[in-house]
Amino acid sequence: MITLEQKNFEEIEKMTKGYNRLLVLGCETCAAMSFAGGQRQVAELASAIRVARKTSGEQGEVLEEAIARQCEPEFVDLIKDDVAGCDAVLSLACGAGVQLLAERFPDKVILPGCNTLFLGVTEELGVWSERCAGCGNCILDKTAGLCPIARCAKQLLNGPCGGSMNGKCEISKDVDCVWQLIIDRLDRLNRLEMLEEIFPVKDWSPAGHGGPRKMIREDLKL
Amino acid sequence: MYDNNPVNAMEHPPCRVACPILTDVREYVQLIAERTFKEAYASIRKLNPLPRVCGRICTHPCETACKRGQVDEPIAIAALKRFASDGPWKGRYEADVPDKSTGHKVAVVGSGPAGLAAAHDLAILGHRITIFEALPVLGGMLRMGVPAYRLPKDVVDEEIQAILDLGVEVKTGVRIGEEINFTDLSEQGYKAVFVAIGAHKDQKLGIAGENEFEGVVSAVSFLRAVNQGQNPKTGKKVAVIGGGNTAVDSARCLLRMGAETVHIVYRRSGDEMPAAKEEIEEAVHEGVQIAYLTSPLEILGQNGKVSALKLMKNELGEPDASGRRSPKPVPGSEFTLDVDMVIAAIGQAPDSSFVADKLELTERKKRIIVKGPYTLVTTQPGVFAGGDAVTGPATVVEAISAGKRAAISIDLYLRGEPLPTIEPAEEVKREKLSPALVEKTRNFARCGKISLPAEDRLKGFDEVDAVLSEDLATKEALRCLHCFLGARIDKEKCISCLTCVRVCPLGIPTTNKMGEITIDPFACQACGMCVLECPVWAIDISLNFRSKIALEIEQVISRSQQAEPMIVGFFDLHGNFRSTDVKSLRQDYPNILPVMVFGLRRIDTCDILKAFESGADGVVLAGCPPDTDPFPETADRVKRRIAHARTLLDALGIDGARLEVCDMPEKGIVDKELIDGLIQRIKEPVQASSE
Ligand SMILES: Cc1cc2nc3c(=O)[nH]c(=O)nc-3n(C[C@H](O)[C@H](O)[C@H](O)COP(=O)(O)OP(=O)(O)OC[C@H]3O[C@@H](n4cnc5c(N)ncnc54)[C@H](O)[C@@H]3O)c2cc1C
Ligand code: SF4
Ligand code: SF4
Ligand code: SF4
Ligand code: SF4
Repeated sequence: MITLEQKNFEEIEKMTKGYNRLLVLGCETCAAMSFAGGQRQVAELASAIRVARKTSGEQGEVLEEAIARQCEPEFVDLIKDDVAGCDAVLSLACGAGVQLLAERFPDKVILPGCNTLFLGVTEELGVWSERCAGCGNCILDKTAGLCPIARCAKQLLNGPCGGSMNGKCEISKDVDCVWQLIIDRLDRLNRLEMLEEIFPVKDWSPAGHGGPRKMIREDLKL
Repeated sequence: MYDNNPVNAMEHPPCRVACPILTDVREYVQLIAERTFKEAYASIRKLNPLPRVCGRICTHPCETACKRGQVDEPIAIAALKRFASDGPWKGRYEADVPDKSTGHKVAVVGSGPAGLAAAHDLAILGHRITIFEALPVLGGMLRMGVPAYRLPKDVVDEEIQAILDLGVEVKTGVRIGEEINFTDLSEQGYKAVFVAIGAHKDQKLGIAGENEFEGVVSAVSFLRAVNQGQNPKTGKKVAVIGGGNTAVDSARCLLRMGAETVHIVYRRSGDEMPAAKEEIEEAVHEGVQIAYLTSPLEILGQNGKVSALKLMKNELGEPDASGRRSPKPVPGSEFTLDVDMVIAAIGQAPDSSFVADKLELTERKKRIIVKGPYTLVTTQPGVFAGGDAVTGPATVVEAISAGKRAAISIDLYLRGEPLPTIEPAEEVKREKLSPALVEKTRNFARCGKISLPAEDRLKGFDEVDAVLSEDLATKEALRCLHCFLGARIDKEKCISCLTCVRVCPLGIPTTNKMGEITIDPFACQACGMCVLECPVWAIDISLNFRSKIALEIEQVISRSQQAEPMIVGFFDLHGNFRSTDVKSLRQDYPNILPVMVFGLRRIDTCDILKAFESGADGVVLAGCPPDTDPFPETADRVKRRIAHARTLLDALGIDGARLEVCDMPEKGIVDKELIDGLIQRIKEPVQASSE
């Protein structure tokens, strides 16, 4: 899933200031699972904005709504009336969702209530960590299922670097050196010889370095 | 109206399913836990016309079924019923009797619990009821059987009076079949008859000497004499033969009336003994001796009086038709017991001879045969029968249930409507709670009984058990595990985020491979953690459901007298406080608006914000002391959530110090100092140091 977190309240308050009728719009997939944009977080944030406005004497109405996914036009279109009736939308989705809203509602102010973080896994309730960088050319078969692109600070393909100390990355004692993990795992799998294969220079164009990415499936396309 | 259809055991708590009148036990137990005793009484009374009787002597099948019984001990449901029904709050019972009578006259023959319950329900339906009672007083076995140390007579009288006050006519001292012929009833204009004559004829022992000697007495007549204050002559060494409540009560009466030794002689073992276990224990505690696996052979006498009882030991053989193992005599085990009185208590049959030519009776015990166990119709149109007269000696609540069913049938019959065909509920074998769940459920000791010491009991017929104190009753009610009041998932909303699976302290929600979540509604204890954490509000519980809490916040605020500063207080019902503590809090601090909840777990940041949004100046959350918290493992989460709310409040320009959270004191609802401190902080906020 995509992980995201709500921006801090001061920032939200500042960006929403002056929009009389404000719609707080949740996204009930990744954003909800990140506890940033589900109905409950929408209600909490909307209520907080109302209280803050009341305290500061600012006028206006704060509305609440949520859809299944803000990255799908059909869902987005379902709330066009609500959007039409407000001065700005505070989206609690990832950046993709925010932008699709902006695209579907060209005349409306769309504001991001969240920071989009990474593609990751849930370690346990309330703890997520990054696992994938969306590089467009998966190499996990060669790295024992651990991604050095997402999880190595230097994105080394033939690691580890000299900064690896006692299994930790030199950038912080709290970050595992993924290359150490790769070696340990290959050892466990009895495949240490795989390390002898040297990665060629990686082609970063599928990773977006060749400009914004787009995927078209001819067989599916309408 | 009372609906007599069996309830589905997969949707209703076991306590209710087990009750013959389907009492909503969970509801009144919860109302007691909420310290709303008057409402608890009303909840009981609307179904049960004899709650104070049942609170004392009901055999409480509900307790046997109670889910808590699988964890430690069942909720003391009967004792709680007594608490709710004995208290001063019960007031005068006001039922909605229609102004206009239907004009139909109904005769109820017999004033035991079956007859009384039928009269009560029929009166409320607007019919004109006359109870005919052979004896000079009303109440049946409640008055003539059960002794006062278990059921004081004034309690019976008061409950009966409330029924009569509905406009029920009574004719005492009128035995149908003697003073009035059964067939004359219809000539006198009674359109329907309910025959509830009980089972008052003691069966004979059928042994030698039974009819020869002075000192052989039937239990029913002995108890009747005791209950009428006639002080019947008792022996010094007495044997009571039988194993039912009648035998046990006879024995306990004897001890109170000067008998020195009392033996109960029962032919099977303790496991088979039909008397209530508690009663047997009490009897033994008071000094009654029980000879199990023993049968009488002959009563011996001297000078025309009983002098000894010849007995024989038994061993248990194969189970018989009733499922009980039948006794087999052990050859050569005869022995004698010196006694000067023998009481026969081996079962009673109805005195049904007066209807023998109208109604069908069972062969041996002459019980009245009914054609449907729910409708209670007999072979004669317009005549219905129920209670011990149909079932043989049974229980008060079964008799009440019969009376209520008869009332439904009679009402339909009088209105010319067909009687329903009701199938008995399919017996549902509910799975036992898993050992893991039992392990995770916090134990709380049952506080079911306060009894007189044995030496004081034998001085007279004072009631042995006292009513629970308010403290004990609320504590007991708070042990309820809220069966079927717990989490329900709205599958359309659920996004399979697994939060409920992760957060439940009892491990109740489970998922399949496709993320479909299942919550066992019987196992869930309605703690509310999942409700609160579900990011899309796909779960709610029925106990203090989410919108109810939100509504209550709104209501307390809109009802408030605008006392400054306005503080919404969330109070955990699990604390050690009384209804009067809530009252005095309201008096001393009219500005504190209490919202009572089953655990602070139930309060979300949204609720706190909502309070401020609606105009509160402060919020206080008072949790129960840790030793009374059924889910102490959630306390830390609750604290962290409140810390989050505080940070948020600070960020949005409201001093987070306006949010106070505390544990309740050992006794009482909240420390005054803490409240005063909060009020102080609200009135004089500490200004950020000036620039
Ligand atoms: C000693 C004893 C202890 C008990 N303890 C318990 C207990 O702890 N818990 C429990 O649940 N149950 C207990 N029971 C059983 C309970 O009391 C009975 O099951 C219940 O009272 C039956 O109610 P009923 O209305 O069918 O009959 P009864 O209560 O027997 O009432 C029948 C009434 O009909 C009257 N009557 C009979 N014939 C006529 C006639 N021809 N005309 C007019 N009136 C007539 C009788 O005088 C009597 O008043 C006990 C019973 C006894 C005897
Ligand atoms: S808009 Fe973003 S957060 Fe919402 S479902 Fe799509 S990817 Fe997930
Ligand atoms: S725990 Fe409560 S609801 Fe469940 S069976 Fe016992 S009394 Fe009834
Ligand atoms: S917490 Fe809510 S959304 Fe998540 S799995 Fe449970 S019910 Fe579904
Ligand atoms: S209400 Fe409590 S016990 Fe029931 S499923 Fe939810 S978390 Fe578990």
